[in-house]
Amino acid sequence: MTSSQSASFFQSTFLNLRRDFFSSKIGGTVSLLLLTLLIFVLWTAFDWAILRAIWLAEDHQLCKLDDAGACWSVIAARWRLILFGLYPYDEHWRSALGCFAVVLTVVLSCIPRFWSAKKIGTIWLLGYGSFYILMQGGIFGLSSVSIDQWGGLALTVFVFASVAVIGMPLAVILLLMRRSEMPIISQTTGVIIDVVRALPLLTILFAAAVVLPFVIPGWMHGDKLYRVILGFALFFACYQAEILRGGVQAVAAGQEEAAKALGLSYWHRVSRIVLPQAFRAALPPTINQFVVTFKDTSIITIIGFFEILASGAAAFGSAEWGFAYVEVYVFIGLIYFSFVFCLSRYGAYLERRHTIATR
Amino acid sequence: MRRMKRTLATLAVAGAMVLPSQVMAEAGETLKMVQERGTLLCTGHNGSFKGFAEVDDKGNWQGLDIDLCRALAAAVLGSAEAVQFVPISWAQRFPAIQSGDIDVIIKVTGWTLGRDTDVGLQFSRPYFIGGTQLVVRRELGATSTADLDGGTVCVEGGTSTERTVTNHMQALGIEVDMVPFEKSEETLAAYFSQRCDAYAGWGPNLAVVRNEAPDGAENHMILPDVLEMEPTAAAMRQGDDNWVDVVNWTFSTLLMAEENGITQANVDEIRANPPTPALAKLLGVTPGMGEQLGLSDDWVYTMIKEVGNYGEIFERSLGQESVYGLDRGLNGLWSDGGLFYALVLD
Repeated sequence: MTSSQSASFFQSTFLNLRRDFFSSKIGGTVSLLLLTLLIFVLWTAFDWAILRAIWLAEDHQLCKLDDAGACWSVIAARWRLILFGLYPYDEHWRSALGCFAVVLTVVLSCIPRFWSAKKIGTIWLLGYGSFYILMQGGIFGLSSVSIDQWGGLALTVFVFASVAVIGMPLAVILLLMRRSEMPIISQTTGVIIDVVRALPLLTILFAAAVVLPFVIPGWMHGDKLYRVILGFALFFACYQAEILRGGVQAVAAGQEEAAKALGLSYWHRVSRIVLPQAFRAALPPTINQFVVTFKDTSIITIIGFFEILASGAAAFGSAEWGFAYVEVYVFIGLIYFSFVFCLSRYGAYLERRHTIATR
Repeated sequence: MRRMKRTLATLAVAGAMVLPSQVMAEAGETLKMVQERGTLLCTGHNGSFKGFAEVDDKGNWQGLDIDLCRALAAAVLGSAEAVQFVPISWAQRFPAIQSGDIDVIIKVTGWTLGRDTDVGLQFSRPYFIGGTQLVVRRELGATSTADLDGGTVCVEGGTSTERTVTNHMQALGIEVDMVPFEKSEETLAAYFSQRCDAYAGWGPNLAVVRNEAPDGAENHMILPDVLEMEPTAAAMRQGDDNWVDVVNWTFSTLLMAEENGITQANVDEIRANPPTPALAKLLGVTPGMGEQLGLSDDWVYTMIKEVGNYGEIFERSLGQESVYGLDRGLNGLWSDGGLFYALVLD
């Protein structure tokens, strides 16, 4: 950039700023006020979180002083409890690797290069297989760890990924059944979807975890965790099916008719014409649904799972750290933020990709 | 928090009600199941309940409820390690015991009429008594609730605590201003910022609160009067009398050991040279302690050796050796002015 170019750049920026924020007296005053407020809030947060913060675990006595800021000692002392929950201490590396395996699986299956049934299938089989072997143990010389002891981030991520991977195909099946030309099927599916959507998630999870064992035969019980994941996936699928139905309605009816006229079979019409366009149209609410589902995983703490929010509660739930709940919640908040933010950015990337494709 | 507990409990009871039929356990079934499995399934917590079930830096459970689970495991299986703590929420505990996810509830569970009948539970003898109490700043100079005339009390609104305090003050004929708050953190913050003279809550929680005081625990004291008592007991499935016996005698022998001065440290010594025939029997030197219950004769010895007597458990989790520094008070032995006593060995 030459000097004259940069000068004109600054000039135009300045002019834009003046036009947008200081165009009138009232506008200017409001802008200034809000700016001051913003700076004040940011400074207070910065001062609390960084400048006056206590960082080392052994300094936790300092946290009780009047001028002490954030007490990150609690994270330094208890981060392993927050991330891994009740998983045996010496085996935490397994939980970390397992968590990594699931995240890697999700990330890989988000990359368009791997979008074929064979590749996706292999990735998920490998990812889940290694997660299960690492977490459960019992072979390859790994000690066996029961599901009751799974917890923290690994559990949160596992539940989310499982719900997504079971829920998505289920949603497509529900969608196709809902659109069936046979009234019995389409109406029954409609009723199922409406009933599930009419129930709170907590009720469904509670029923899956607690009530179901009383009404189904013993050999079908499985572990509580898997029952809950299935219940959660059903809930997810019902919402997602309706989101996709919205997407399908955005596809012009003429397209399917044209495909029929060309003699394409039902599966070809659905998989090549309707669904790809429906997914594209329904992308923003789908990403939304994923974000909501990720955050909803914290509900499983109510039915006794030690996911990251529960292990966080355990981290500040002791005599030494009882006062430091804000810090723990901030830490967990940042973890949630990093996941959800990645998800949102990925959604934005997909939309850009689609815009290019349709141009 | 107690209100939320109540909502969840209602949900849980509703859950238990829709079950096709109340599950009745057969006598001896639970003990057999536990011994075949080789581990006791006991209640942990989804998070932490300070002093009763909390988690240390390495993810190990500790606390009064946890140690009683360990004692039971030592009694039944011969090792305090043979217990698995299933993380369970308040709402889940009753359905979980009915469905067999756990063998016993030892989770600060109050013995109430509804739970004893409708929910289909059977309770052990109480192992802990907590009451509604008040904590005040020491500089106030109050020594009992009656000294609070004209003062203010911070309390969680709409809870049984609020009602209890109001009733109690009316009975005493003194006037206090009740200042209700929505959440326990708010209530606590208000008390610490000197908005109120006193904070009302469940006794053991007050010990925790006192410990979290920003100006130091020593500046706050818990008033000795108990406004309302709530006995907590272990809960089991209805119908398995043998299992109830096992749990009752576990608690009773923990107390008996304390009455007789048997501790983790000296149990070997006393066992080698029992001063009375009763203690010889208790520690399994002479037979007669285990068979009726379906346990080995030396189960009490194993239990004391691995976890200690009731007093040791209490001091370690809540009492003077812990950060909470809770007084034994009502939870002491009858000989020390408390409410606890051992049953008789014949």
